[in-house]
Amino acid sequence: MRRKIFISIMLVLVLALTACGSKDTAGGQDDDEMGELVPSITILSSLPEDNMVNYEMVKEVVEELKKIGVDAKAEPTDFAVLIDIIYGDDSDYDAYTIGWSGRVERLDPDMFIHSINHSANADAGGNNTEKYRNPEFDAIADAQRQEMDMDKRQELVFEAQKILAEDVPRITLYSRANVQAYNKEKFKTVENIPGEGLFNEWTPMIIEPTTDDKILRVASDVNLDTLNPMKAKSVYEWKNFRLIYDKLVRLDPSIEPKPWAATGWEIVDDTTIDVTLREGMKFHDGKPVTVEDVKYTFDAFIENNVEYFMSFLEPIDNVEILDDNTVRFNLKNPYAPFITTTLTQIPILPKHIWEEIEDPLNYENSQPIGSGPFVFENFRPGEELVAKANKDYFEEVKIDGYIYRIFGAPEGILTALEVGDIDLASEDLIPAHIEQIKANEDDKYSHLELTEVNDIGFFYLGMNGDRQPFNNKDFRIATAHLVDYDLALDVHLNGYGARGGGGLVINDANEFWHNPEVPIYDTYDPDRAKEILEEAGFTWDSDGRLRMPKE
Amino acid sequence: MLKYIARRIGIMLLMIVLISTMIFFLFRAIPGDPTAYVVDPSMPQEARELMLERYGLNDSKWKQYTIFIKDLMKLDFGDSFFYGRPVGQIIAERVPATLILMLSAMAVAYLIGVFGGAWMAWRRGTRMESVGITFALIFRSAPTFWVGLMAILVFATKFRWFPPQGMRTAGYTGETFKEVFLTLDFLKHLILPTIVSGLYFIATPLLTMRNSMLEVLSEDYIEMAHAKGLRENTILYRHAARNALLPVVTAGALFIGSAIGGQVLLEVVFSWPGLGREIVQAVTRHDYPLAQGAFIIISAIMMFMNLVADILYGILDPRISYE
Repeated sequence: MRRKIFISIMLVLVLALTACGSKDTAGGQDDDEMGELVPSITILSSLPEDNMVNYEMVKEVVEELKKIGVDAKAEPTDFAVLIDIIYGDDSDYDAYTIGWSGRVERLDPDMFIHSINHSANADAGGNNTEKYRNPEFDAIADAQRQEMDMDKRQELVFEAQKILAEDVPRITLYSRANVQAYNKEKFKTVENIPGEGLFNEWTPMIIEPTTDDKILRVASDVNLDTLNPMKAKSVYEWKNFRLIYDKLVRLDPSIEPKPWAATGWEIVDDTTIDVTLREGMKFHDGKPVTVEDVKYTFDAFIENNVEYFMSFLEPIDNVEILDDNTVRFNLKNPYAPFITTTLTQIPILPKHIWEEIEDPLNYENSQPIGSGPFVFENFRPGEELVAKANKDYFEEVKIDGYIYRIFGAPEGILTALEVGDIDLASEDLIPAHIEQIKANEDDKYSHLELTEVNDIGFFYLGMNGDRQPFNNKDFRIATAHLVDYDLALDVHLNGYGARGGGGLVINDANEFWHNPEVPIYDTYDPDRAKEILEEAGFTWDSDGRLRMPKE
Repeated sequence: MLKYIARRIGIMLLMIVLISTMIFFLFRAIPGDPTAYVVDPSMPQEARELMLERYGLNDSKWKQYTIFIKDLMKLDFGDSFFYGRPVGQIIAERVPATLILMLSAMAVAYLIGVFGGAWMAWRRGTRMESVGITFALIFRSAPTFWVGLMAILVFATKFRWFPPQGMRTAGYTGETFKEVFLTLDFLKHLILPTIVSGLYFIATPLLTMRNSMLEVLSEDYIEMAHAKGLRENTILYRHAARNALLPVVTAGALFIGSAIGGQVLLEVVFSWPGLGREIVQAVTRHDYPLAQGAFIIISAIMMFMNLVADILYGILDPRISYE
């Protein structure tokens, strides 16, 4: 009804204009013969204090949309509110910006291919908040998840990325770089791993002290919430747990799975995996690590519904003990990421301690006992976690221990790096601090070495595919031409990061899984955007407003 | 007197219940999903559901409220969403660090403020007085985080007199309060934040004392003291200052009440592991139980210190009685 009134008002207006002698209706076509007006778009962006780049980029995109005749506006939104909206039951949004952080388990392509794009996750609450639905894509996404052969799986993942680049369910704006620093006068040999940074699980193993001070001081500006592995909900706790506990498999610095607490595994068939436990390992209290402990751990994580690992444990049907050092995992269905994400994440807990605990999920675990390369010493909330090297470990550790210091703000970390109170920053440095270290005024930072690696995570513009105009693929492709990817990288990120592009989910920091042929649409070209819209049947009315293609 | 105190305490308890109710509903009125920061969005939908269930956030607001009030009567603030431990325990862990810093800052501010304020009133109109007022007002108006950063820049990184960050040197040992807090290392870390925060607080006692002194100095008994030929310092500190102290005492008592909340910006700048940072984080992360607990405790202490101030009045000034 409202639209009718609107159209009739428009009609009167146009007639009035024509009567006045100004005959400039676009292409000689009358407005009422055109398609519907492109509805107005609200883009929920970030608050400037949370993410300045998203905030600025959305403002740019909104200006561009206005220039092509779309009524658009930016609405900076608090993170918790945004999550509430995009995962809410009403799915009431046009578009938004958010990011997926690059965590080690996301080096496996399953998350960025399947979880966020498969139509099974497109309902309210699921991770496909772009409501992208493409049966052809779904089939490939399912197939890669079940393909246990790495090379074949890679082909499928490449194919899936190509479809995403053509369909543009979301537009990746940029990726950040993990730029971190350490004290090169006290330590040498470090690894900076994509999605992990310097304080990954390898650096503490390989780093070598060059002075008599053999304690590595690591800085973070995030407090640790708990010492219970079943309760930990952030990557910061895991950065410590995985040094205190062992996992069956680790991802090596080139992201290949490497046997760790296991000496190897055998894929018996698509749903059966036998893992051989390393012999002679001991928990920090002296008790041996056995297959009983492995079985107990997986059972306990599944039984207690540990949220953090839910999606990785879900495919496990049961765990069997075959003999003194072999454990068999029976899967419900083939699950390709099993070795790279499930086995690389679950820590082996000592059964003799945990089976005594009535409610493991709420156990304080104030003195964690693991079997890992570092032995827990103490933890002072908001201050520090101290661990010393495990001298009985099967791999040599060259430092005597490490201290994880917790700071209040990035400025504090920089100051502590400067005066030598800490040796390594585990969080990404902010661009201003990177510049400061590079400028090295008065030789203040000469003892620091900057390391840089691109992040596998990305920040993007998500579009609600259930709504006009984003249900129109050509409109999404046109929008991808309205984003100035170079502005984001060169100006807003000072060059520390990587360019985005339409439908780009796995970037080239993830070498093995990135399809070099994508993205397809990654140039800022508003004229091309207009051409695409015109070719797709979009028209502009006499007021210069964009109208949908006529049905 | 006892009757008066009993009545006041009764009113206080009522107020606490009222405030708790307000806090409870205010937090729930904040938009945003409380699981947003706890459950990573990449986790399956069931994980979020489970979390809501575990926290009891699926229950009706009324049911949540009755449970909350019932627990509150037992002084149980519930378990923090994030730490999964009792709120009381978390607050107790963080309070010593905050209180030590705040009380040291208060000691510095009130010592200098009370004597300085009295002295300034005595020298009214001189150049020293205006210098003193300007000095206090500059530190009152300058953002504390900026003063803190500058102090770190100059005294910690340039001259290296003090450690720039934290409460103690990395990797220290010690378990008991004495081993942890009564050490030279701790003292060294304490000095810089104490001075910065003391400078910020100094304006209140200094100016209150000065103004109150000016009033007292115009009283007849001061003239009388002069006439008797008493020494200046005796008149200033024994006769005038004692009577001018009253408003400073109120301000001081209320200060202790608010001290428990700490000074968030300073805690961030100095990486001081205090309660202030914890409260701000609890609010932004929608950790309702922890935030509620902290605010209720702060308001309770504020009210209690208010009562203490009123009682102190009676003791300091015999003219005031609460019959």
